[in-house]
Amino acid sequence: MNLSIKPPLTSKVYDVTDFSSAQELYHSNGWTDGLPVVPPTQAAVQACLDWALMTPDQLIGIEPVREQPITAEKLAINAVMAGCLPMHFPIVATAWAAMMQDEFLLHGTTSSTGGCAVLVIINGPIRLEIGANGTFNALANSDRATAVIGRAIRLALINLMDVRPGGIDRTTLGHPGKFSYCIAEDEEDTTWQPLSVVRGIPNDGTSAVTVMAAMAPRQIMNEWTTDPKEILETFAAEMRANQRHYSIYGGNYAIVIPKQLREHIQGAGWTKRDIAEFVYERARIRRAEWADVGKAAVVRDRGESVYTALDSPDHLLVVAAGGPAGGFGAVIPPWMGHKTKAVTAAIGVCVDCEPPKG
Amino acid sequence: MIHVLDPTNEMKAAGIAQAARPSSLAGKTVGFISNGKEGTKAYFGHLDRMLREELGVAEVVWRTKSNYSAPADAHIVAEINNWHAVVTGVGD
Repeated sequence: MNLSIKPPLTSKVYDVTDFSSAQELYHSNGWTDGLPVVPPTQAAVQACLDWALMTPDQLIGIEPVREQPITAEKLAINAVMAGCLPMHFPIVATAWAAMMQDEFLLHGTTSSTGGCAVLVIINGPIRLEIGANGTFNALANSDRATAVIGRAIRLALINLMDVRPGGIDRTTLGHPGKFSYCIAEDEEDTTWQPLSVVRGIPNDGTSAVTVMAAMAPRQIMNEWTTDPKEILETFAAEMRANQRHYSIYGGNYAIVIPKQLREHIQGAGWTKRDIAEFVYERARIRRAEWADVGKAAVVRDRGESVYTALDSPDHLLVVAAGGPAGGFGAVIPPWMGHKTKAVTAAIGVCVDCEPPKG
Repeated sequence: MIHVLDPTNEMKAAGIAQAARPSSLAGKTVGFISNGKEGTKAYFGHLDRMLREELGVAEVVWRTKSNYSAPADAHIVAEINNWHAVVTGVGD
């Protein structure tokens, strides 16, 4: 591909007098999440495309249900608005390509009354290049990179798929992750394999993103033991609570294990696989337990049926992240059982980009 | 002056033309495609009675999607050809 001749951007251009006028243009058209946006100029959008070696019309994917094509130019406009720098854009583009895989069920997850957000988990060297921080405050405003990448996912949903509250987005409550929900794994401070490697990406320096249709994090605390089984029992209990109070059905759960608890589990020689197998066995309830929480009407004659929170141990996403102190952890439940599945994709893998041989 | 770009998807997906509207439902077959949620049972039950008793619909066919958040299953979509009208898109 000869990038010396750049195809022009084709989006409609608006002329505004200043920064404030740009804000009013975007807010009044329903093109924001309510927060100010960075005005997407041609130069800023082109810089994102140049960084990712993409032409404006490059197809990132086609949303399977409404058959909406998503191009690199349109995605880059939304990334700039979110505050992304060019080096953030390949992550946004890869996350969107992953979200458009059939198994993610993008339309269902973003239109549902259930109100999940797209959780983006970043692995690999790219985390360090962009300054993503998987330590202090990992699930919130930990750093610039994860804040703007997560926000770009939402702005693009709003503007490219019309996922606006009351429009395609029929969410009853939602959660704050719908502004931005992106974390980086703390790979430097763990003996565990990165999530991307556990999920099949080569362990050769390939960076990757994992996307998951995720509810809000449920924080747990257990600083009174060093026994991995007791620590993980607390995580499993929170998953059982989610099964009772929200959805009984199995799906992809993520658990985030910060350093303090992680070191106890690692020190006992437990791998992520060991964790997943233990949690798979412990996170399950009988349908009859619904009666304990006001849902007796739907127990019917299946009270003794057992429902696992995970369809298999493979469905647990174990993430090493969080600040160095505190016996805390988080359980991030799926939107609705296995109707959606987490998707992991390598960043920057381009079949057209191999240089000519010979 | 700042030149800024339209963030919306100007390249819209090809739309689907609406089917012709029937002038009357009398003697016709109407299909229901339910998402299977609890609250739809009473809704469709009431609508079934209204269609038969007030509008003279001959037959009401009930179908339920296997995944309430995904498009209807292919075999259900194929059945639509046998119906004169279909009611779907009902939420919770």
